[in-house]
Amino acid sequence: MTTLIRANLPVLVVIAPLFVAFILPPLARRIRLVEALALLGAVLGLGGAGYLASIVLTQQENPFIYQLGGWPAPWGIELVAGSLGVFFLLVVGVSVPVLLFAQGNLAAEVGGAERVTRFYVLYLLLVGAMAGMAVTNDMFNVYVLVEVATLSCCGLVSARRYPRAAEAAFTYLILATLGSALVLGGIGLIYLITGHLNMGFAAQELSRVWLARPHVVLMAVSLIVVGFGVKAALFPLHVWLPDAHSTAPSPASAILSGLAVKGYLICLVKFLYGVFGPTLLQEFAVHRILTLLGGVGIITGSILALTQEELKRRLAYSTVAQVGYLILGFGLLNVTGLAGALFYLASHAVIKATLFLAAGAMLAATGKRNVRDLAGVGRKMPITMAAFTIGSLGLIGLPLFSGFIGKWYLLLGSWEAGLILPAVAILAGSVLCAAYLLPVIRAAYFAPAPEEDWPDPGRPQKLALLLLAAAVVILGVRPGPFLELAQKAAAELLAFY
Amino acid sequence: MSGLLTKVLINYPYLVAVLLFTIGTFTVLTHPNLFKKLLGINIMESAIFLMFVASGNIRGGVAPIRGTTNAEAVYINPLPSALMLTGIVVSVSVTAFALALIMRLYKAYGTTDLRRIAARRKEVISDDHLDQG
Amino acid sequence: MLALVFALSSGIIGGLLVAALPAARTRLRNMVVLFFTGSGMICSWLVARQVWAGERLRFAGQLGGLTFCLDPDPLGIVFGLIAATLWFFTVVYSLGYMAGKAHQRTYYAFLLVAFSATLGVAFSGNLVALYLFYELLTLTTYPLVIQERSPEAMQAGTKYLLYNLAGAAVLLLAIVLTAAWGGRLDFVGGPILAAGLKTGLNWLLFLFTVGFGVKAALLPLHRWLPAAMVAPTPVSALLHAVAVVYAGVYGLLRVVYSVFGTTLLGELGFAALIPWVAAGTVLVGIIVATQQDILKRRLAYQTISHLSYILLGAFTLHPWGLAGAVLQMIGYAVLKTAFFFCAGIIAEQTGVTRVSQMGGVGRSLPKTMVAFAVVTLGMIGMLPLGTFWGKFYLMKGSVAGGKWPLALVLIGSGIINAVCFIPVVVRAFRDENKRLSITERGVRVTLMLVPTMLLVVVGLGMGLFPGMVWPAVQAVVDWFF
Repeated sequence: MTTLIRANLPVLVVIAPLFVAFILPPLARRIRLVEALALLGAVLGLGGAGYLASIVLTQQENPFIYQLGGWPAPWGIELVAGSLGVFFLLVVGVSVPVLLFAQGNLAAEVGGAERVTRFYVLYLLLVGAMAGMAVTNDMFNVYVLVEVATLSCCGLVSARRYPRAAEAAFTYLILATLGSALVLGGIGLIYLITGHLNMGFAAQELSRVWLARPHVVLMAVSLIVVGFGVKAALFPLHVWLPDAHSTAPSPASAILSGLAVKGYLICLVKFLYGVFGPTLLQEFAVHRILTLLGGVGIITGSILALTQEELKRRLAYSTVAQVGYLILGFGLLNVTGLAGALFYLASHAVIKATLFLAAGAMLAATGKRNVRDLAGVGRKMPITMAAFTIGSLGLIGLPLFSGFIGKWYLLLGSWEAGLILPAVAILAGSVLCAAYLLPVIRAAYFAPAPEEDWPDPGRPQKLALLLLAAAVVILGVRPGPFLELAQKAAAELLAFY
Repeated sequence: MSGLLTKVLINYPYLVAVLLFTIGTFTVLTHPNLFKKLLGINIMESAIFLMFVASGNIRGGVAPIRGTTNAEAVYINPLPSALMLTGIVVSVSVTAFALALIMRLYKAYGTTDLRRIAARRKEVISDDHLDQG
Repeated sequence: MLALVFALSSGIIGGLLVAALPAARTRLRNMVVLFFTGSGMICSWLVARQVWAGERLRFAGQLGGLTFCLDPDPLGIVFGLIAATLWFFTVVYSLGYMAGKAHQRTYYAFLLVAFSATLGVAFSGNLVALYLFYELLTLTTYPLVIQERSPEAMQAGTKYLLYNLAGAAVLLLAIVLTAAWGGRLDFVGGPILAAGLKTGLNWLLFLFTVGFGVKAALLPLHRWLPAAMVAPTPVSALLHAVAVVYAGVYGLLRVVYSVFGTTLLGELGFAALIPWVAAGTVLVGIIVATQQDILKRRLAYQTISHLSYILLGAFTLHPWGLAGAVLQMIGYAVLKTAFFFCAGIIAEQTGVTRVSQMGGVGRSLPKTMVAFAVVTLGMIGMLPLGTFWGKFYLMKGSVAGGKWPLALVLIGSGIINAVCFIPVVVRAFRDENKRLSITERGVRVTLMLVPTMLLVVVGLGMGLFPGMVWPAVQAVVDWFF
């Protein structure tokens, strides 16, 4: 049994959440069972990821290659759990505390007990798709998983049926589909000139033929960067994000901002480094464009966040800024910078989930959306606000919190790349981040509290918040396997450069 | 000149795909009507499908079914067509979902025109918290 | 070793305890606060004895792939002792000053945590640890600045926070560059950057100067300091004479002697510029101070001026200059704290906050005003007080370092200081007919008056017996030269 599980691990981590998602609907009446099963599905995924990580980290098998149906690579579909894949699988583990949080108050969040099951189905589909993106090594597979993820994201955004959410979901759906169409076009072009859909084989073939057809390759790179850029809210393609992430139910906002965006970025990394390769990126100066967009995104996103009154919108715009950090790191084209960006990805996943969940708990307890109205909430809801504070300090990038390590390596990376402006953007982003998050904390702790009684949320929600906040600190003090995996992944991605 | 023209003529499916893609994208980005946007998305996706299928085609080739043709016949590449079946399925589900959203928006705002929705947003926002089943 | 760990953690433990105590348990809280600052101070002195005896107290740990290390050296010890000792005085003064005021629990909790942060800055053994405590200091002093919770205080707090966080961001960039160029971040084992790699070093020095300069209130970066005067007086004393601004100055001393080293700095064009920036700050700060009517603002601008004495000494790159800087650091901290304490007593007792209202204060509060007068002499740099020796060695260092005009700047500054504060004293003692109503007497006043008097006595002692602080100064100079 164990050997069977071990041998099929890469596919199991993907299938576990998907399988659970599909057995939930018939059980819709028994909410308790649905909740338990949903949590089980996410936990199984995380457990599998942990096991896989231990296999890869101890070098028993790195990368862990799995052939679906036993068909060998150029013909069959390959799952590859290398450092990058395992790293992202662990990041997908953020879905467990978010799910735990959701179980406290979901019926109220989505507006009706009968919608709870649907929410879990969509949620687990999203988690399964994210896990799939982490391990797949087939370009068409990426497209399918991206579509699964997009549809479940849109479903989550519109889970609560108020018109604003439907509007946001529609905009998101249209733009995301536009993005996936572009990606599919890019994949088509790569397939046209290489004849492969497997990333490894396509990369080999590309390195041989790209000189003969530079225009086609350039077209493919642009389509894929823009396509994933739309989905990952790369500035200036972020227009859909603030509405979608701020109108969604809070657990959905947390998972969308924390995880979904990251899945597309991991796919982008796979394409940029795994298919096109650094040499080609440099030839077309794609890396400079990425760094430029990232830097501008950091500054613009932060300034836009600064102007938002509504807390969830402020956090949503902050996601646009934080995606800028990652894109900037992807464009630095050196191991330090890429490792920094990957670690920052993990760090931001945890932090943004914490912030959105805490904001959601405050919204649920107080009914107040605006930062100004949340005065005194720190004393009424100590645990929620403590988690929010830890998350904020992490996002600002203070030492002892996870954001610092990511920023440190990004700064070192931009020095190695010989660029000073990205470093300036990174630091300016930190200061702006302090400017838009600290007022929330100031209002919460140092402003007079109103008379109303705002209790902390229920036990599972508190537990989820504490888990996430602890993760922010642990990642900052002992980043251990995460940093190691990020560095290994970066080294592998840039191995032939 | 004639060389270029021949090239274009030989590759006409791709030319059509590019044309369709442009029309689709243009519709999506410029049309205020939600239905038209959805149609645009569909046209755009068809363009991509066309490109894929065309890439698998070989002129004079036959369908790769074993035992029905002689050994010398050139098979077309069946893989892109198979992939596009999946693509079409995805596209249909996106369309279905988008239609459901459009219906919900129509119920809330009484219109499918984005400009009018923006104009009426203020009125509907006020009862945001009222969940409409 | 244990002493080091306890010195650092006492503030944090005490702070958490205070936060956990119910707000109404005033007496118990006061005991906790006194115990933990007192034990922190004693442990710091124990650490100092060990370090002066030549022991190395290295405490290193991993912080996410970066080494984080505490390793007090003589310079750190000087700053640590100043902070630990004056913190205790400030806490005693606070027990009087804050009695009966709102938000006391928050105040003491953050006062204690900030104590740990300051000692952390002092005892850190590499730039990572220094940066960590530096940021922690900014965040933990913020609630102290907005203690009053008035709109004005909130505005000042935001200014304080943004200036300091922006400065820390620049500092982080400088630290990353140092790590990339120097390959290590530890202070032990000589300067981090080797002579020879020259390109960009001017920029690096510029980044460091901006990064630490914000806290040290170097001239164009000083705006947060006068704004932060809305804080309660003991906090102002800490901000101005002990913790925050000194953390910046200390950081710059570190940059000069541990990051670049005097040899390398001697070759950098920007390093030659800084003493003149500092000299400019000395003069402009004190001249602006003479224009201020609000007493605390006058003191604030004078701080800006006097901090640059220390920088000026450090950048002469001469042993005498360094000795002067360290002496000035010690002497000035003691007297400036006393100065603020006096201003606080005057404001609390009579409600006078402006220089123009000072008439008659001397009659009403003779002890306080005498202390004020003595401190004024110290600020001018006159003999029976400790600051004289600081100034003396600073001048000696400037001349020996080949920058004799700096000595003239120091003399000029002394004269302007006299112009700035002597009229205040004179006015306070003049209007003899006018008697101000004194609101309070009793324990509260004693708690404020005793630390003030003690500090003045210490200041006098250091002036009359400079041998008392000289070993500490000697240790620093020997360490770096």
